[in-house]
Amino acid sequence: MTATRIAARAALTVAAALLLGAGIVTVVAGCGTVNTTSTRTGPADSAVEATTKVNNLLQQLFLTAKEVRMNRTKGGPMEVQVDVENNGFSYKTFAYRFDWVDAKGNVIESQTSVWKSTNVPSGGSTVIRSVAPNEDATDFRLQVRRAES
Amino acid sequence: MRIRTASIAVLASLAAFLAAPGCERARYVETGSPEGIISVNDVDFQDILKASSGMLESLGQTGVLKTAKNKPAQLIIGDVVNDTSSRFDVGEVTYRMREQLVNSGQATVVTTFGTTPEDKQAQEVLRREKFLKGETVEPLPDPDFSLTGKITQVKRSAGGTKQATYTFRLTLTNLRTGLEAWTKTVDMTKMGNKNAVGF
Repeated sequence: MTATRIAARAALTVAAALLLGAGIVTVVAGCGTVNTTSTRTGPADSAVEATTKVNNLLQQLFLTAKEVRMNRTKGGPMEVQVDVENNGFSYKTFAYRFDWVDAKGNVIESQTSVWKSTNVPSGGSTVIRSVAPNEDATDFRLQVRRAES
Repeated sequence: MRIRTASIAVLASLAAFLAAPGCERARYVETGSPEGIISVNDVDFQDILKASSGMLESLGQTGVLKTAKNKPAQLIIGDVVNDTSSRFDVGEVTYRMREQLVNSGQATVVTTFGTTPEDKQAQEVLRREKFLKGETVEPLPDPDFSLTGKITQVKRSAGGTKQATYTFRLTLTNLRTGLEAWTKTVDMTKMGNKNAVGF
């Protein structure tokens, strides 16, 4: 009799914990969540072909580089835009830096290559972008670092 | 007695271990890194770097400097007013821009122009040379654009939480037409109840 009661109480405790956990997940997911809709289907015809290499850190942060676009600007230098989506349940903060490289693969020293921080709400997306320091830049390198929170 | 000594040693070690995370030794960090201190009520160095980066990117993107009569474009750096409660040298923004524009050959900065030139000695030398060689030999600089700007702030608070938005705005005026040729604002918003070390 006592064993049955103990087993029943244990089952109730586990069920309560599961319900509480599910509730927390729902609350976290619901707080600041953004639903994103887009009409775009792909890069423009004028976009420059770019090889995309995304480091694992974005994925560890539940972030996805959805699309990478590289185009020449009106002024001449290249511009890159990366759409970053947050597939996680919480607000994500991360810092990023673009380094531009020339045709020989050398990094071009530039005052535009600085760390910038951004936030993406759950389910939302952001565009991180950079304009090359000059017209010699042909490729870019994107570094990402995560916030502790 | 031996047990008591051992207990004291264990307690002392435990206290030292617990105290360790609170004591951070000075170290070098990358300039402008997100690891740096973030101040709610002040413009941080990271903000200055982001502002100059945003301005330079916009200048490159629009190609406004290529429309100048002179190649490369000649600029005068005018007043950039710091209208915030944070004390810092606005030259930190403009010098970074100058470094990139001048060193990459996109523009030159006229430092010998006007009644308050940046380089009075160079202006004197130039005047003297002009006087000695005659009017037609070496013309005085003929700038294309002047760069002016303002840095403003909007501060708000709710309970103990403070929020500050710092706006950096720069304008390039075409000196031949007197019209605004380019303008750009870069905003930075910070929120919190106290300053913190970044991540």
